Amino acid sequence: MSVNQTTKARGVDIGVFRCQVCGQLNDQHDEYCVRCSSAISPRNYRSLQNSWALLITAAILLVPANIYPITTLTKSGIVTHETIFSGILRLVHADLVPIAIIVFTASILVPWLKVLGLAFYLSAISFNIPISRQKLMAGFHIIEWIGRWSMLDLFVISLSVALVSMGQLLDAQPAPAATAFALVIFFTQLAAKTLDTRLLWDQLDKNDDTP
Amino acid sequence: MIISSTKPRKHCNLIVCRGCDLVVSKRALPSGVRAVCPQCHTPLYDRPYCAMNGVLALCITSILLYIPSMLFPVLEIHFLGSIRSSTVFQGAMAVWHQGYWVVGLGVLLGAVIAPAVLLGSIMAQMIIIQTGWYRTKFGRDTLNGLLRYHSFINQMSMLEIYVISFLVTSFQLSDFADVYFGLGTLCFTLLFVVTLFLQREYNLEHMWGYVSESDD
Ligand SMILES: [Zn+2]
Ligand SMILES: [Zn+2]
Repeated sequence: MSVNQTTKARGVDIGVFRCQVCGQLNDQHDEYCVRCSSAISPRNYRSLQNSWALLITAAILLVPANIYPITTLTKSGIVTHETIFSGILRLVHADLVPIAIIVFTASILVPWLKVLGLAFYLSAISFNIPISRQKLMAGFHIIEWIGRWSMLDLFVISLSVALVSMGQLLDAQPAPAATAFALVIFFTQLAAKTLDTRLLWDQLDKNDDTP
Repeated sequence: MIISSTKPRKHCNLIVCRGCDLVVSKRALPSGVRAVCPQCHTPLYDRPYCAMNGVLALCITSILLYIPSMLFPVLEIHFLGSIRSSTVFQGAMAVWHQGYWVVGLGVLLGAVIAPAVLLGSIMAQMIIIQTGWYRTKFGRDTLNGLLRYHSFINQMSMLEIYVISFLVTSFQLSDFADVYFGLGTLCFTLLFVVTLFLQREYNLEHMWGYVSESDD
């Protein structure tokens, strides 16, 4: 349910600062929140830079995460290295298409969407690109919500490695891409969490959907 | 406007959006409805209180379910006469011991540590509130500290993803072995369901109310 807004005023315009920790409204002269005693700042401008740095790190790590093998499988003495993508292909060949779709979404679609989406979002703030703020924010909410699901593949690997350990006969082991992939998740989540989204809306006047 | 001249603390019916800093006037909501920001659609607030007894009951149930879901294996496979089973913790340690401690740590945090901290934190908050300790300085500071990290821990806890992951693993391994679910699987799934209801019932804004209440 959408609440009717009374004015177009922002908190800064009327001298009310919202505490980003507990949500308490504070007077602009307050240095610390009256409720939770955290420092009050109208905007966190540095968060944009931090978010960019974290995102670039994640984007670089996305390359090894996709080209290096993520698991090593030994079956009757034959060793095969599997990347994220070849693992999905194997599932398709094994007639496990629904599972392949789940793994594809969690391991390829979500991380790429997250990195590209965040890059787009941050560029819109940094370079003041004229696109609908509403659509950008909707995208950001989706990224925040689905981002954690990339962990699925790592959980699957940990269970497989623990269960499938019968020496030369049948054995599963993690491979280098697993660490890179874990770090991609870590850095993208942090990049989204760090960002002060209010920075986007400060440029509202120019690019707005609603009159 | 008169607003700027008065203390914002007294404006109980004003709310400022976390996502875009828009000022919105607060109004009564029908039950089960969540107010979202008209500009950026970030959730603003929902029902003004939570049923404390309900939260307490769900929290105790979750803690009771947490113990067997960590102790019993979540998956078991039979392969050429040999049986292998793994608990959540053993899964995390298996990758850790292979040298992939980053991955192991991630699994440990998401499926073992964060859910435990989340449940422990909610339990501690309930105790502080029910016993009235939040009126003392120590109780208030503790509650403040717990609430500060609540959203973060809540996001770190990945029970729902783990439930899907053992389903995916069971399908993947069914290719070469017979896969069996154990008591741990049942407990873990129940833990996920009960915790989900707990998270829906829990209201962070209501909890913060106790910190400011003791202020006066
Ligand atoms: Zn505060
Ligand atoms: Zn908003």
